[in-house]
Amino acid sequence: MLKTEGLGYWYQDKDQPLFQGIDLEFDAGQSYAILGHSGSGKTTFLSLIAGLDQPKEGDIKLNERSLKQIGLTNFRRHDVSIVFQAYNLFTYMSPLNNLLTAMAITDAAHAGDKAYARQVLSDLGISTDLAERNVQHLSGGQQQRVAIARTMCCDAKLVVADEPTGNLDEDNTKEVIQQFQKIAHEQGKCVIIVTHEPDVASQCDHQFRLENKQFVELA
Amino acid sequence: MNFFKRAWLNVWAKKGRSVLLILVSSAILMFVLAGLLIRSAAVKATSQAKADVGATVTLSANRQAAFKKMQSRTTSSKSSRPKMTLTPVKLSDAVKVAQLSNISSYSVTSSTSVNASSYETVSTSTGMGSSNSGGPGGMKSATSTGDTQIDGVTATSLTTGFSNKQSKITKGRGITAADKNTNNVVVEKDLASQNNLTVGDTLTVKEATGDKDKVKLKVVGIYKASSTSSSNASPMSTDPANTMYTSYTLANTFKGSKYAGTADSVTFNVSNPAKVSSVKTAGKKLINTSKYSLSTDDASYQTVKASMDNVEGFANKIVWLVAIAGTIILALIVILTIRERRFEIGVLLSLGEARWKIIAQFFTEMLMVIVVAVAIAGVGGKFVGNQLGSQLVSQSATTTQTTSSGTGQPGGGEPSGNGGSGGPGSTGQMAKQATDMKIAVTVSAVNLAELGGFGLAITFLSIMIASGGILRLEPKKVLIS
Repeated sequence: MLKTEGLGYWYQDKDQPLFQGIDLEFDAGQSYAILGHSGSGKTTFLSLIAGLDQPKEGDIKLNERSLKQIGLTNFRRHDVSIVFQAYNLFTYMSPLNNLLTAMAITDAAHAGDKAYARQVLSDLGISTDLAERNVQHLSGGQQQRVAIARTMCCDAKLVVADEPTGNLDEDNTKEVIQQFQKIAHEQGKCVIIVTHEPDVASQCDHQFRLENKQFVELA
Repeated sequence: MNFFKRAWLNVWAKKGRSVLLILVSSAILMFVLAGLLIRSAAVKATSQAKADVGATVTLSANRQAAFKKMQSRTTSSKSSRPKMTLTPVKLSDAVKVAQLSNISSYSVTSSTSVNASSYETVSTSTGMGSSNSGGPGGMKSATSTGDTQIDGVTATSLTTGFSNKQSKITKGRGITAADKNTNNVVVEKDLASQNNLTVGDTLTVKEATGDKDKVKLKVVGIYKASSTSSSNASPMSTDPANTMYTSYTLANTFKGSKYAGTADSVTFNVSNPAKVSSVKTAGKKLINTSKYSLSTDDASYQTVKASMDNVEGFANKIVWLVAIAGTIILALIVILTIRERRFEIGVLLSLGEARWKIIAQFFTEMLMVIVVAVAIAGVGGKFVGNQLGSQLVSQSATTTQTTSSGTGQPGGGEPSGNGGSGGPGSTGQMAKQATDMKIAVTVSAVNLAELGGFGLAITFLSIMIASGGILRLEPKKVLIS
């Protein structure tokens, strides 16, 4: 589904790349964890496959089409859904409106369908009452579940998450990872999670470690 | 069009910020509206001044040409002392001029003097003696003129004294066009009370020239002369109370048969004061300029116009200065607001929202604020405009008064008697008219539309200035780092 070909990235000095010559393939219906120590470049990698930045070298292809061809804004709108460590919800909206806004922007099939959005939130443990409140009144775990619900409502086949459990306790972490697994296995989406927590990574179908500017798949 | 909904949700959720923005925008727009109102009121007042103050063109004998003629006679014949002969204005010529476009009406003036017969004239006591030239105890005039001034007019209401309310009819009525060829007369209040005259009474005068016949006049009205005209009477002149108004035909009768169908001067009222010059030019083609002259008087109009031009100019400056300052203030506020919302912009960009739609969302938010601000300014702007307008007009009129008082010539003006605007009180009167000119500030639909336009422009510009940041923003930097 998603393929990187000779992917490379550096900030100022080409001789000191974060990674170089990366050839990876990510399939639909699978979950992937990318591990690495701080500053190794795993988040930069995520920003490239999420269409938030352009690679300095190589190419990224979605279903054999280059992201350059698709256009980054188009790619972000229709093909990828991002979950952030800091949730990044619209703070002046309710969870319900957060979902409806995302669905409207991404032209999702269920755009404008409040009942559907409520159902998705309810499936993730956000009650109808909570769904109407301002997101700032929700706990961190609840906000992250709203962020996950947002990705579920949108039709993007690729879901990328940047340290999604970074701000959560153990119980919430477990629950969030379960949701990502559901997204991959039940909705048939490709889930790529960047994390520095081995426990989280171990729950994914595949694990890669970024070390010495290369990705190594762990057994 | 999801950005409309986002804009509404944001404005509603951040009520405190929205209220503050509404207050700031209202203050800005209130001053813009005040400027717009003053400007439109000044334009209205100027056009009103055209109608109210008016301007005149006066047809009279050409004194300059007559003087030159007299001088040439002096050099050719040194035996006798030459006299300056003024040709009276033929009414047939006046009728031709009156037919020009932009002339709304005309007034004929023919002045002479007669001597009192059945009554006593009012005498003025001054430090230099009495001014009465004919009455008991009075001083005889050095010339052969009578003691009673006869101002023959078409209608008293058309004379300067009555039209600018310096003189007032207190009993009976004034002279009208219907009094043509009658012996009706309007006498001054002091003269009437001294001689126990009232409306309906008759009085007898004696012609000062010719056969010196006695003529009976019927009092149809009593008027009160202005205090300025009495106080300005010189010791040698007759008291203003001894001035009577009659039809010009009667005045011509007193002057002699050769004056029939003539006048000292004819004053034409010009409906559009801006056209005074063109009326004068067209009129000159219809008259014999070696005998007659056409002089214009639009000083009152020019005084008021200058005053209103000052106000209009200042109002324009207010509008533009406030609009520019308002745009800068709002742009700074919007820039600060947008900086606070970088994460929101980042999330929107990560969802694939187009940048122009994000800008449109901020524009819509500001538009909602501006709509409320326009409504508030619409209410408050009238009050601010009234206060500012009155202040401006009084300042402007004071300036005009100060400037014009230096140019007034005592006793100057046209040789047209009542038709002219000369005299010591004329400049003061003009300035008074300018001072009396009130700025009538009313908020019309056009004003509100203009204000809405300014509000829209200010919002658009401030959002455009602030949008530079949105266009440059990289979501990765905001969301990932």
